[in-house]
Amino acid sequence: MVATSHKKQDKELLNQLQSILLKEERVAIERLQETIDDPVILSEKIRPIIEERMLFFKENFPKEFKVTVDKMIEVKLKASQEEILDVIYPVMGKMIKKYVNHQIQMLKDSIDESIKKTFFSRGILWRLKNSLLGITVSDQVIHDLKDYQIEEIYVIQRNSGLLFGSASTENTIDQDVIAGMLTAIKSFVEDAFKREREDLEMIQYGTYKILLQNFYSYYIAIAISGSMSSTEREGLANELLGFAEEELNTLPAEPDQIFEKVSISLREKFIK
Amino acid sequence: MISRKVILTGSFGVGKTSLFRRFIKGTFSEKYITTIGVKVDKKVVEIRGEEVSILLWDIAGEVRQDKVPKSFFLGASAIIYVFDLTRPSTYKNIGVDMKILNDILPDAIIKVVGNKEDLILKEGTDNVIDIAALDKIKKEVAIHVDATTSAKTGDNVEQLFSNLAEEFIA
Ligand SMILES: Nc1nc2c(ncn2[C@@H]2O[C@H](COP(=O)(O)OP(=O)(O)O)[C@@H](O)[C@H]2O)c(=O)[nH]1
Ligand SMILES: [Mg+2]
Repeated sequence: MVATSHKKQDKELLNQLQSILLKEERVAIERLQETIDDPVILSEKIRPIIEERMLFFKENFPKEFKVTVDKMIEVKLKASQEEILDVIYPVMGKMIKKYVNHQIQMLKDSIDESIKKTFFSRGILWRLKNSLLGITVSDQVIHDLKDYQIEEIYVIQRNSGLLFGSASTENTIDQDVIAGMLTAIKSFVEDAFKREREDLEMIQYGTYKILLQNFYSYYIAIAISGSMSSTEREGLANELLGFAEEELNTLPAEPDQIFEKVSISLREKFIK
Repeated sequence: MISRKVILTGSFGVGKTSLFRRFIKGTFSEKYITTIGVKVDKKVVEIRGEEVSILLWDIAGEVRQDKVPKSFFLGASAIIYVFDLTRPSTYKNIGVDMKILNDILPDAIIKVVGNKEDLILKEGTDNVIDIAALDKIKKEVAIHVDATTSAKTGDNVEQLFSNLAEEFIA
């Protein structure tokens, strides 16, 4: 009995001792508990740490993750190379055109300048100037006589010759056969002359002209009747670049999937 | 409607152009017309209510020779490799040709077709096909033969293309 009461006493003493010695810790634990339980307080405490971490990330991201990100981008680019090129092509075309036009403008200005200074007969200079600008005298004359007319327009997948879309003034049947043959002729000519960097740009028979404008995974063929000046041709080429940029920047691998959509846009824009 | 490019290739005189004409127009002309380069035509095949537009390219010239522009083959969903059942020279190089075609078009369906089966006749008959002789020839070909056809009688021609169309929509 005595032993038990002693034990009890001991235990109480120990408890008292504990509560005295560990009082601070207990308070601390309680505070901690409160902090964890209350989201407002908790977030207040943690936010600075996260912010600091974020800052570190911001500053060190390139160093820490550059290799990984570069690899990711590289893989992504490879996978969607075709799509990216189809987006870039028309934009590049526009930029190049702009640059060339600028150069021509400068050339023109300098010619105009020299006209003022020299004694050459105006006839020769006029001709020279126009030929430098890519406008032939006959173009100039023809331009005043007659306008051209777009008879048919095709957007054709480069290799397969399958149609992404087409439109024409008349109800031409078998436009996909024409697209196929055009593609075959184009491949044949380009292969025969082995001009890898150069593409066939025009096929002509009689007064009928087929203009070909190449993009990355497709090309556009336009059948034209009547005569067309260099300036008009230039204008049409620009319209095509704009059309390509707006309507043809995301092309599916299977052309038939967007045939209706592209055909409608072609009709609205080019066949009035 | 789905559209697919299909190529006819194989040695000179095996009957590619005849098969092409038989399939597209349903006719056969005995008159030999040498194909220059390539001809493209179209036929719409209907499979269980779905239309499949087949753009068939009849390509002249041997695959092995460099005369045929490789770009003719690009973008094709299927290749029909035709040989002449009566002329071993038209299938002895089939292995080499298959490898070349596979390199150009790794994902395309390839059908190997023995044509002119109407000429493999039982002795003493003028229109009974000798099945045993046909099987013997098929065994001589290094690769599995998918079909034997006759552009002349039209036998198995329609079938060949509807099988292809079936695979396109599958
Ligand atoms: N008996 C028979 N002759 C055929 C058949 N297919 C083609 N020919 C003949 O074989 C020759 C070559 O045919 P062609 O289609 O021009 O061959 P290609 O060079 O592969 O296009 C022609 O004389 C055809 O009439 C066939 O199935 N049976
Ligand atoms: Mg032929």
